[in-house]
Amino acid sequence: MSIDIYWRVGTHGDQPSLRRRTQSRGGFVDVPVPGQLAPGLRDGVPDGYSYADHVADVVRASEAAGFVGGLLPSFPGTDDPWALAASLAQQSRTYRFMVAYQPGFLHPVQAARLTASLQAATGGRIVYNVISGGGGPAQLWWGDKVSHDDRYARTSEFLDVLKGVWAGDFSYEGRFYRVEGAGLPKDLAGQPFPEIYFSGSSPAAIEAAGRHADYYLSWLEPFDALAAKFAQVRTDAAALGRTPRFAVRLDVLARPTEEQAWDEIRRGFENLGPEALRAFEGGGDSVGAARSRGFTGDPSKGYRGLEVAPNVWGGFHLLRGGPVFGLVGSYHQVAQRLDELIGLGVDAFILAGVPHLEEAHRIGENVLPLLARDHDITIP
Amino acid sequence: MTTLDIQVLLPTRAEGVRHGFGHLREVVRAAELGTLSGAVVPFDPDGLESWSVAAAALRDTRWLRVAAEFHPGVSTPVYAAKVAASLQRFSGARFAWRLAVDLDPAVARAHGDFTVGDDRYLRAAEFLQIARGVWGGGKASGPGGVKGEFTFEGKFFDVLDGGFAAPLSLVPFPQVQLTGASPAALDLSARHGDVHIFAPPTLAAAAQLTELATAHGRTVQLGVQLSVLLREDAAELADAPFRDEVDFAGTYAEAADLLRAYAAQGVSTVVFDARPRIEETYRVGEHLRPLLENPVLEGV
Repeated sequence: MSIDIYWRVGTHGDQPSLRRRTQSRGGFVDVPVPGQLAPGLRDGVPDGYSYADHVADVVRASEAAGFVGGLLPSFPGTDDPWALAASLAQQSRTYRFMVAYQPGFLHPVQAARLTASLQAATGGRIVYNVISGGGGPAQLWWGDKVSHDDRYARTSEFLDVLKGVWAGDFSYEGRFYRVEGAGLPKDLAGQPFPEIYFSGSSPAAIEAAGRHADYYLSWLEPFDALAAKFAQVRTDAAALGRTPRFAVRLDVLARPTEEQAWDEIRRGFENLGPEALRAFEGGGDSVGAARSRGFTGDPSKGYRGLEVAPNVWGGFHLLRGGPVFGLVGSYHQVAQRLDELIGLGVDAFILAGVPHLEEAHRIGENVLPLLARDHDITIP
Repeated sequence: MTTLDIQVLLPTRAEGVRHGFGHLREVVRAAELGTLSGAVVPFDPDGLESWSVAAAALRDTRWLRVAAEFHPGVSTPVYAAKVAASLQRFSGARFAWRLAVDLDPAVARAHGDFTVGDDRYLRAAEFLQIARGVWGGGKASGPGGVKGEFTFEGKFFDVLDGGFAAPLSLVPFPQVQLTGASPAALDLSARHGDVHIFAPPTLAAAAQLTELATAHGRTVQLGVQLSVLLREDAAELADAPFRDEVDFAGTYAEAADLLRAYAAQGVSTVVFDARPRIEETYRVGEHLRPLLENPVLEGV
């Protein structure tokens, strides 16, 4: 199997760089800042562009740069990935929309119909990132009271029902869902079922992943921790007669030289106030978030204090919203670390960089070709 | 006279060899170029899913309001509102909702929905209350805006500390279209609807709806939905196919008279179901619509 390399989309706007935590793209600001884009201002009046217009450009940039598609994340404050994928389906050619969603919020019949329609619109370019929730206040915010371990039981049942509806003439009576004579309309039957990227670090999640995941997706962690996690998933899946593939979601900050890359981090770090350094206290009952925080270093020792292994830096959450770990280094070093991850069994990457559009081009032009010398990379 | 809000129903399944998103794009472009004001994507168990169709239609247009019809069992109201907020942001606030409440029982069960009778209207009311509540629940704070000020404990749905933060909360809530002529349907519209569409297009219950809405201190706009066949003159009409299968067959002038009569009864929205959709949408835009307002070119 060739390696699928995705590029993430910022569904919560984007920053012009990691140097300052200033959102300038997509209108995700309380007060308009100079240089804000999509919507922009002309003579003080909104120019009629929306964040979907910028994301459409990120999508096209990702296609041009050689990525197979992108992950569209979903959090309370973000734009919705289904809305984005449906809006941009016709404005892309090869791009696979990896839609992040929580099964609890959408009925499986609706999920099946929505997905099949988008498969028809895109020629089969929808991919799932099934998340079962960070929990805590966020879960109640969504109007969902199902407890942490039950959420994975529900996710399993949700995917059973979804697949049953997809196959057609399906009736079911379970703990969470009940349907009678469900199926897809004739026009939509026979579409390919999306690949499933499955996240979650708790034992309940790993068990559910064993049943349903095509790819078990993890945030980047120190490589030995990641290897141990993969081993656990492999064991659980084997017991169910399945062999999942593995995917890692990580940020990359790559420059022609290592010094230039760290200089970028240093500039961002120096612009952080003490309040920002104390950030990342929340996170609900997400086991993955707690794991990541446990692995990283001490920011009071400076930005290099967060480098837990060569080029593996655990401070990205301080410079932009989102996960902790990513790679920092020269193009060659970043490619080398990605190569090592492939050696650990990684079959797919979801890379990200800020700003997403420009960094998609940079990584596509400078890092992907290095990786392609030794590996079979999926050509979109 | 006031300009009528003229809308067309969009296709959700194959019509002859025309099908899918390519066909849809031509119909919405026809409506857009014909200066119509809106389009409705029906909830069609045998067709494409309506949110995805509406999103594509909004992306293909600049002016058209696009209503997606769906039933309140498709998602939590918070999630439906979240999707809607993004579509409002992407479209300059042109997205609308039409709730399908009175589903055929077998269709409902095939969609995982076993709620029956007037409970369906109670659920729809909760759905709309929560969706509006989280939209305006605002002041969400904390990481990613996770704690708001809206809490609701209902029979069907619950929310705790919900509420969207800016910028999702800054766009207008979607226009809510409702249908039906039963007492429960009228009551739902009176309390939560913006536009009530009568299909079949009879206005027997309109006065009752207006009275109910007034009692709630609200105004609900009236609309009708009808299948039509429109031609330039009687001879052409006689040759047209399907003329006995539509609610109204007539010349453009007769159709304009019909719409004026509706308008005189307080109707402000007319939804046309006309096939073949591309050609008939152009007819409405080029021939009927100019008869309904002071033609700019009159006397030129």
